[in-house]
Amino acid sequence: MQELLSEQRTVQERASGPAGALWLVQAFSGLLLVLLLLLHMIAHHFVVEGGLRDYQEVVDYVSNPAIFTITIVFLIVVSIHALLGLRALVMDLGPKESTMRVVNWILVIIGVAMVIYGVWLEVTITRM
Amino acid sequence: MEKAKRLDDKARPKRPLQAWFDVRQDRLGTWAFALNRLTGIGLTVYLFLHLGVLSLLAQGPEAWDDFLELAHHPLYLMLDVILIFGILFHGLNGIRVALVGMGIGVRSQRTLFWVLMGIGLVLLVVSAWLVFTI
Repeated sequence: MQELLSEQRTVQERASGPAGALWLVQAFSGLLLVLLLLLHMIAHHFVVEGGLRDYQEVVDYVSNPAIFTITIVFLIVVSIHALLGLRALVMDLGPKESTMRVVNWILVIIGVAMVIYGVWLEVTITRM
Repeated sequence: MEKAKRLDDKARPKRPLQAWFDVRQDRLGTWAFALNRLTGIGLTVYLFLHLGVLSLLAQGPEAWDDFLELAHHPLYLMLDVILIFGILFHGLNGIRVALVGMGIGVRSQRTLFWVLMGIGLVLLVVSAWLVFTI
């Protein structure tokens, strides 16, 4: 039983301090992603003839305000989850505290850039 | 202070990259952890590639429709199936990690792992069939 516990401690151990809070964000964003990704795969690929929409179909689809909003929420959640995952990888390498501060800022900047890019792209598409 | 303590954790493997993939003891948890890391890295790389490809939409219909031709090539479809494998493993194993981390199903996590992998296998076969037949 211990063997599967190597990567996971209980939330009581994790929930103390910033590391615990980040683990909770990682876990809940992951659970939310399972739902959002399922919706994404079905709506964007599995119910579409040929598996992908052509250009005009994409424009029409994204122009729906509900789809626009869900897509941005999806991008925010997936960015948070992916960047926290990258942070965990860096943490495993045992970096100095000062290095970690720089890494944290770089990840925040990348995350903000991803969301800005996504919003820009969707707005651009809907205006075409 | 806590951060400093965390970074100096004596339990942290001296050579962490090796520790991720040290499966000599053939423990299920070690394999699950290593594959979770690998699929996580792969999915993150894919996320950036995906966002890059979507920029073709901003270049107009021709750029996007040219990409669609490429996307229907069998080799590309095979890559889609590998991607779906990564999503399913990372997502379903992630559900187990999250639940157990929250204290849910700790005693039955081995069963939970195999049940989720069984569901994943069924979803992978169905998805692969859809990818090649839609």
